[in-house]
Amino acid sequence: MIAIEGLSKTFETSGGEPHLALDGISIDIPKGQFLSILGPSGCGKSTLLYIVGGFVPASAGRIRVDGRAIAGPGPDRGPVFQEFALFPWKTVRGNVLYGLLQQGVPRDQAERRVSELLQMVHLSRYADFYPKELSGGMKQRVAIARTLAYDPAILLMDEPFGALDAHTRTKLQNELLSIWERDRKTVLFVTHSVEEAVYLSDRVMVMTPSPGRQKAVFDIDLPRPRIRAELLLNRRYQEYLIAIERLVQDGGEDEA
Amino acid sequence: MTRWLALPGVPPLLALLALLGLWHLAATFFGYNFFPTPGAVFKTLPALFGEAEAAANIAASVKRMLAGFALALAVAVPLGLMMGRSPLVAKLVKPLVATIYPVPKAALMPIIMLWLGIGDAAKIFVIFIGASLPLLQHSFGGALAVDQKLIWSAQAMGLGPVKRLFAVVLPSALPEVMIGCRVGIIMALIVMVSSEMIARQSGVGNLLFNSADMALYDTVYAMIVVIAAIGFVADVAFEFVRRRLTFWAEIHQDPLVPSA
Repeated sequence: MIAIEGLSKTFETSGGEPHLALDGISIDIPKGQFLSILGPSGCGKSTLLYIVGGFVPASAGRIRVDGRAIAGPGPDRGPVFQEFALFPWKTVRGNVLYGLLQQGVPRDQAERRVSELLQMVHLSRYADFYPKELSGGMKQRVAIARTLAYDPAILLMDEPFGALDAHTRTKLQNELLSIWERDRKTVLFVTHSVEEAVYLSDRVMVMTPSPGRQKAVFDIDLPRPRIRAELLLNRRYQEYLIAIERLVQDGGEDEA
Repeated sequence: MTRWLALPGVPPLLALLALLGLWHLAATFFGYNFFPTPGAVFKTLPALFGEAEAAANIAASVKRMLAGFALALAVAVPLGLMMGRSPLVAKLVKPLVATIYPVPKAALMPIIMLWLGIGDAAKIFVIFIGASLPLLQHSFGGALAVDQKLIWSAQAMGLGPVKRLFAVVLPSALPEVMIGCRVGIIMALIVMVSSEMIARQSGVGNLLFNSADMALYDTVYAMIVVIAAIGFVADVAFEFVRRRLTFWAEIHQDPLVPSA
């Protein structure tokens, strides 16, 4: 459903020097696949996501979604950012409602959908709270509900759990999986955690540090629904972790 | 023993009383006829408001100040927001602003009077210019600082550029825009008074200078009290509006907030 072909991105640094951030990324992501993009910071993995979102233009190459070249952002590709990016002047309900109203959904219908979504992310009691009154984990739940509200076919998740504590992170990973298993959206998930990538994904693309190139792509052949406690003893899960961890470490020393 | 001192409103009241006391002592000590005591000044205030002409002057001033400010609000805020989101608009507008910014607005009055006469239009125009600059500057700064990811989130929801400006950029920048408003309303007051001192036709500035010409010093001081009161009320009103509009913001910037 997403076809990325020879994608490159060159930035101009503040000194005016060209800087190659992404180099020749080519990958096809079938409909309903959960793909993680894994790499050290500075490898351009978030940039890749922003280009697929249509927020940032590519320097070379092309991206097609369902056969059509993307032209800017659209409600078929819903972003979820590490920084939550909630509208601070709107309540939880107002945030989730906004995209729906924007898509022309009638108000009463939209309100019902928002109630369902808030229930799904366990925030029904916080519908009238403002973002500044919520914890990080709650904010990210609102952000996920806000994006799911307008029902994008593709979720673009940019280290969504990167700013959360370990406990909240694990909890939200599980919630995300149970949501995903319900409607199987195509997900592009950017992370620098090997464990997170393997636990969540159907496929993991490992990138090299700057410039970001594809180093390897792993098919994660593990049963679903995934239960962390069971996976920890799963031999194949352990092998994926070790193989990918080695690959990430190798050549990663010059960065960080 | 000193608990009553900590009561809200007591310290500012004490400060005010101390100032009035000092004024009274100084006025009595020097005994100049152009330095009336506060008692004499406040005694002329009811008479001033009772006088149809004086009341009409004050009303005319406030009307011009609000008209000029409203115009600035309508023009400078959208323009500032656009400057913050479009480098091209910023490049076009910045040189104009940089040219007008350092010029004392009262210095523009002679030219503006030639074009627009000495009536309301010239004064409203110069108030508009004066109040526009802080509004423009703060709207520009506020729009520049908008989180790019809020814009992207809105884009993904399908908001076009005009809708984004008013539905995302404006509320995001609102805490900063409101600071511009507070500075702007006081700029409007300052320019209002100085424009009336130059084009002396009506208004509090005109009344103040006419009274000085006629050596009515009680009235001169009373007019200064009136102008200060207009400024104080405008500032408190804005702080009231600001708190209600931006209560959701993470940080409340409260520079020199009059204790509420």
